[in-house]
Amino acid sequence: MTATEKILIEVRGLTKNFGGLTAVDGLDFDLKEGEVLGLIGPNGAGKSTTFNLWSGGYPASAGSVRLDGEEMLGLPPHRIAARGIMRTFQHNMPFEGMSVADNVLVGAHTTMRSGLVPVLLGAGAARAEERKARQRADELIDFVGLGEFRDAEVSTLSFGQGRLLETARALAGEPRIMLFDEPAAGLTPSECDRLSEIIRGIAERGISILLIEHDMRFLLPLADRVVVLNFGRKIADGAPDTIRSDPAVVDAYLGEAGGVGAAAGSRAEPRPDA
Amino acid sequence: MADLLELLVSASASGCIYGLMALAYLLILRPTGIINFAVGEWAMIGAFAAVVLSVQLELPSILAIPASALVLAILGWLTEWSVVRPLVVRGAGHLAPILVLLGMLVVYHQVMLLSFGGGQEPLDGPFGFRRVEIGPIAGTPQSFFIIVTTIAVFVAVWLFFERTVWGKSFEAVAINRRAAALMGINLRLVTALAFAGGAAVAALAGLLDGPRGSVEVAMALPLAIQGFSALVIGGVNRVEGALLGGIILAFAEDLTRRYVPIPSGLALGVTPTLLIIFLLVRPTGLLRAKEAS
Amino acid sequence: MGAALSSSWLRWIAGIAALSIIPFVLQPYELDLYRKMLFWVALAISYNFLFGIAGQMALSHFAFAGIGAYTVVIMLTQADLGLGLAVAAALLLAAILAFIVSFAATRLEGFYLALATLAFAQLLTVVLNEGGSLTGGTGGLTSYSFPAVLGVKIEGPWYALVMVAVMLGTLAILLRIDRSWFGRACRAIRDNTEAAAAMGVDVARTKIIAFTLTSVMAAAAGMVYAFFDNTVNPPVFGLENAFLVLFMVIVGGSGSHAGAIIGAVLLRLTQDILEPIVGHYHALGFGVVVVAAILFQPKGLIGAWDALRARIKAGK
Repeated sequence: MTATEKILIEVRGLTKNFGGLTAVDGLDFDLKEGEVLGLIGPNGAGKSTTFNLWSGGYPASAGSVRLDGEEMLGLPPHRIAARGIMRTFQHNMPFEGMSVADNVLVGAHTTMRSGLVPVLLGAGAARAEERKARQRADELIDFVGLGEFRDAEVSTLSFGQGRLLETARALAGEPRIMLFDEPAAGLTPSECDRLSEIIRGIAERGISILLIEHDMRFLLPLADRVVVLNFGRKIADGAPDTIRSDPAVVDAYLGEAGGVGAAAGSRAEPRPDA
Repeated sequence: MADLLELLVSASASGCIYGLMALAYLLILRPTGIINFAVGEWAMIGAFAAVVLSVQLELPSILAIPASALVLAILGWLTEWSVVRPLVVRGAGHLAPILVLLGMLVVYHQVMLLSFGGGQEPLDGPFGFRRVEIGPIAGTPQSFFIIVTTIAVFVAVWLFFERTVWGKSFEAVAINRRAAALMGINLRLVTALAFAGGAAVAALAGLLDGPRGSVEVAMALPLAIQGFSALVIGGVNRVEGALLGGIILAFAEDLTRRYVPIPSGLALGVTPTLLIIFLLVRPTGLLRAKEAS
Repeated sequence: MGAALSSSWLRWIAGIAALSIIPFVLQPYELDLYRKMLFWVALAISYNFLFGIAGQMALSHFAFAGIGAYTVVIMLTQADLGLGLAVAAALLLAAILAFIVSFAATRLEGFYLALATLAFAQLLTVVLNEGGSLTGGTGGLTSYSFPAVLGVKIEGPWYALVMVAVMLGTLAILLRIDRSWFGRACRAIRDNTEAAAAMGVDVARTKIIAFTLTSVMAAAAGMVYAFFDNTVNPPVFGLENAFLVLFMVIVGGSGSHAGAIIGAVLLRLTQDILEPIVGHYHALGFGVVVVAAILFQPKGLIGAWDALRARIKAGK
């Protein structure tokens, strides 16, 4: 929507082998500032592996992922978050013992600058910062529509509400880049629509978004650009409209769901785990 | 030299006791992920069961020993059924069963103190006190009895895991609970059997250890600590690791006590020191898991 | 906001006043129970932060209390340091040891942490028992006394106030930290380590800080304890009490400051009242209560109280 030509993340030759299996094979693509980039592919195409390489935890076999020209691969997850990349989880991972508001406040962790000593002494700056963080968390909870659950325990939320909480929690970190790991998985159609709206709203705030998604009908209307993976390789990279008619993409999806048309047209059932 | 050989026999016997304790932990830990500190109490209760059956009821050892193990197997089963299963069913966190068994440790300990007092009860081994000499190797008959029994138990457990369908399903549960349930393995039964088996093995450790000193309530905690130390040293992934860890621990203790000129109290530091070293340097233990097939 | 703030200040002032007056109206025997209860409450509060909030099942809490107690006495009587320096040395030693233990133990999960800290506690018991004249061996250290501060001898009820101060200081610090980003980071790690890291929480660093801070607090409480009866000996700082403080937190309500206080007060009270009457049945009842709490009331007494209050509110 407001995509510029400035490249935020540059992926070059990204490769991951598991034993004899190559899950991701020499992947090249860019994420530009302000764009919503979709990464799609049939099951086993290497989407999740790519995601895990980005968000830390997995060592890559070869290649690079550069943020502002600096290597990101091999950084532990908390350092990646500190650089402005926040994520949601495909299987919701809330902090079960905490309220909705406190969950979101954990997301704001990297934005808190006061040390423990000022916190202890009740320094004005630390208190102002805490107050600001709480206010922002409240705004974000309203933004995703969980206002009435602010002080509820997260165990009382439905799965779909949990996904919204994940979104608000990640946003609290004031990210430059949001990573969504299969955000539509497990949601009902109306929850999907709600989440689409929220993701559009996030994009409008100028946050770049990488969406990893299996569900074409959810993804195509949202994305500015789509990268299609199959067997760990990029088979297409372009605007959603050109992707829809790309013969390689149609072929890849044919084997699985009867073609893009079918895959894109049938989002009847909430999908279980990919 | 004769001194050293005799020491080796008694250290091996101690190592076998520790190995059995480690095995009691391992039988429960593998399929359930629960570390059960109450196995020390079970060992002590097993020893008291042997006192009651063989000293007070004058049963022959050949009956009293399996009967004691059976009593403890039932106690282990009951413990699983009454306090562990409700937590698993409720989906309580992974620490809850460990904590509830710590609570049970207090319950067992206090019940035993109330029933038998804090005093020492004598327990005779089945083969008396006559010194046994096999070539240059000499020791008490109880030491040899411990070694033989322990080897038999480990061989039986090893055969169970390697050769029987039941043992395979224990391993399947250890590797992946959910997948195992989907394969039709009865998780509840495996868990219950794990507790029963762990308790029976702990009972054997306790009643074999008893005749080397005396049977008392206070014997529980040292056995519990030496057992998990042996477990960490040997590695939690394989049955053989428990015995290996027990032997290493016992030799480290006995050789230090005999040949290193430090006060005997300080020798008590050998076990925690070894445990800390292994936790830091090799938390997976000496024996690694077999290659997943 | 202003009103809420001042009412919270009022509550603190009232609490400090009440706790400080009590020692002056008690008989000597009751005073002894009172200050020992405060010692347990202080330890339960800091242990609740470590176990209930930061999710670290460590069994070294009493060991650190022992390190504080022994070090301050040794520094005073054998190194001839002044009180200020002795206290500083004890806190520093506890901090260094806690840092080393937690630095090593952060790689260990769940019960492995329990094993490592249990081994540390055992090792300390061995060192205290075999430390010769330095630690006084199995008999411990005796016949020393709390040095005069600025020429004033602090004794009896006045010394109980030192324990009140340490207990309230522990509570105030941990309450403040709990309501900050640090407390949330600790709870997040307890609930889901992977998600906490993805939100930018440095898991190892947070765990080490939580462990070191609460262990130093245990050492501070131990230092005050050392001058209750002017004797320290190894069994007090052994495993049994480490388990006891864990049980106090579970029974009171793990993760709740009020729960830790209630658990410590109740278990101490019942022990002091029941033990002379029913003997070992008291300890048995205690074990049963712990098991029942985990099975039927996982949020402890404070959870039961909250549920009751909610029900009364809903009934209105």
